[in-house]
Amino acid sequence: VTAAIDLQVGVDAVSFGALFAVMALGLALLFGVMRLMNFAYGELIMVGGYTMYYTRDLGAFPMIVITIVVVVLVSMLMELIAFRPVRYAAPVTLLITSFAVSFGLQQVAFMTVAKGRQKGVEPYPWLTDQHHIAGLRLSNLDILTVLVAAGLLIGMTLLLKRTTIGIQLRASTEDYEMAQLVGIRGNRVISFAFAITGLLAAAVCVLYVLRTGSLSATMGVTPLLIAFVGGAIGGLGSLTGAALGGFTLGVVINSIQSSLPVDLSGYTLMFAFLFVIVVLVIAPNGLLDLARRVWSAATTRLGILDRRPA
Amino acid sequence: VSSALALARRYVRAAWTPIVLSAVVVITWAFVENAGSVTLEEDVMRLFLWMMLVLAWQLFSGNSGVMSFGHVAFMAAGAYFAALLTMSPTLKETTFADMPRFLASWIHPAELGLFEATLAAGALAAGLAAVFGIAVARLAGIAAAIATLAILVIMFTFIVQTPSVTGGSDVLVGVPRETTPGNVALALVVVIFAVYAFKQSRHGMRLRASRENQEAAQSVAVNLRLERYIAFVIAGLICGVAGALYAHYFSGFAAADFYFELTFIVVAMLVVGGMQSVAGAVVGTYFLTIVYLTARRGEVDGVFGVETPSGTANLLVAVALLLALILRPAGITGGREVPWPGALRRKGPVAASAAGTVPEEVKEAIAAGPSRADATTPTSGESL
Repeated sequence: VTAAIDLQVGVDAVSFGALFAVMALGLALLFGVMRLMNFAYGELIMVGGYTMYYTRDLGAFPMIVITIVVVVLVSMLMELIAFRPVRYAAPVTLLITSFAVSFGLQQVAFMTVAKGRQKGVEPYPWLTDQHHIAGLRLSNLDILTVLVAAGLLIGMTLLLKRTTIGIQLRASTEDYEMAQLVGIRGNRVISFAFAITGLLAAAVCVLYVLRTGSLSATMGVTPLLIAFVGGAIGGLGSLTGAALGGFTLGVVINSIQSSLPVDLSGYTLMFAFLFVIVVLVIAPNGLLDLARRVWSAATTRLGILDRRPA
Repeated sequence: VSSALALARRYVRAAWTPIVLSAVVVITWAFVENAGSVTLEEDVMRLFLWMMLVLAWQLFSGNSGVMSFGHVAFMAAGAYFAALLTMSPTLKETTFADMPRFLASWIHPAELGLFEATLAAGALAAGLAAVFGIAVARLAGIAAAIATLAILVIMFTFIVQTPSVTGGSDVLVGVPRETTPGNVALALVVVIFAVYAFKQSRHGMRLRASRENQEAAQSVAVNLRLERYIAFVIAGLICGVAGALYAHYFSGFAAADFYFELTFIVVAMLVVGGMQSVAGAVVGTYFLTIVYLTARRGEVDGVFGVETPSGTANLLVAVALLLALILRPAGITGGREVPWPGALRRKGPVAASAAGTVPEEVKEAIAAGPSRADATTPTSGESL
């Protein structure tokens, strides 16, 4: 019986983790291209949430399409107004800028859409329908979350590896100046990166809001913090690392919250952030990078004896 | 007599910036004492306490170039600790009935005065900073910023999740209202002098050298981690003191007072004023406090007959920060301290033409005369 419960916890945790993998991926994309740790990413989720609220009567499909369009536009506008003028500044200046954008957007929300009574989006009843497969409860939302996340991750990989703009984007991630020297248009690539992050944020937003239902001006902060931590642990410098980190952290947080006693589970965020400090000190580029380096060091140690010229 | 005067003149000149800044603080305090308005007093107290935080930030981030988002956590620790030490024992026994035994045994009976409690708060904050500082001092740039942010979240989560010691997310009430504007003005004058003295000390010098060029500073044997660590802990101490004073003025406070919003306001003040100088910290605090509190007043009573929606004050701070980052990244003061009045007049055509190229520290050192000649050595290292 306990094994079944553990598995059940695991199923919930996986769909939660998938959400944060997508989110961390969006953060890592911007970090890679312009060393921007984008705090305002959480506010994209907030903007999306309120867009869903105002378009909820149009039906699921138009609602999702409008949300995606709005969030992508807001993301690109953000870049145009706030981040383009400071593009060549130090990463910490960029971080402060994104702080300002995030805080400003929250205040605008306070003054407009978040005013008055608490708003919420009611999830569609069919989303919470559950299937019983091999003794496990699987809601449609869980399945949808995992499918969308997997789809986005695969789509992102294809986009980055197979399309011209994706390759340009990766080149800019590697070395922005060099990429510009060989004729890649910086503005276009960065706008594109912001559009992609907007798309990812919109997807996270729809899945997240359908899960929690409630909206507030600061609703983006907690998911942002978790994705941020996940990204930092996995390594924001690499897209795979960030996605893996976000996924792992989502899974861990969800399982801790469901397995620890209530009076301890509140401390989850505290332990997560303590862990972040430790990881930053021992592996500033993330655990994936550390693992890679340990692995290559170990293999060269073993292999070098044979290959070294006499 | 003339040599004594010359000596006095040299001391005044060396301490010119903190003297002027302290005078501004004292004048503000005298003004509020005479005005006798309660709302004005509250506004000025906010200004003073923000200024103390911004000065702490200047000491660490301004000198080291490592941005902190976490020092508000040390302020929170100071505020809660001081409040626990001064509240009346009977009240503590009811409010914190299930405090763990090892804390309750000495916290429940404690009934300290404001001064002792403030010292204790500073000590605790410095102690916590000394622990977290071990990690932060090893990091730079974005990683350090993330680590300090983590400290903020850790402290907030701890306070909210431990109601038996802190009252949780509720407002903590019943803290005696003992802080007066005079106390804070006095503390602030001490802090202004201390922060300026730190900047000019060998530690401040090394830290600033490492900010300008880390490798060059290390090559002349600057122990980067140690210098960052020292500044981090001193800044934590100042924040703890500010927290204690805050707790005993705005007698009811909550965990949410010490989180992103306050951090954001303080960082904005520092950046807008110019984070590389003590004068910048003070100018930024005055400027944004006036903007913020005017808008805040507008949210409550309306300004010029217009009632601004709530959130305007914070939005204005965000906009001011964005504008400063885009248009004037070095802040209003551009990293300059308060100029010595004579220096401008005596500047000949040669000095004026060279003024644009000589770094501020060198100019200061030249102006200060041969007694400060030793100060130019590490500065010239900065421009390597």
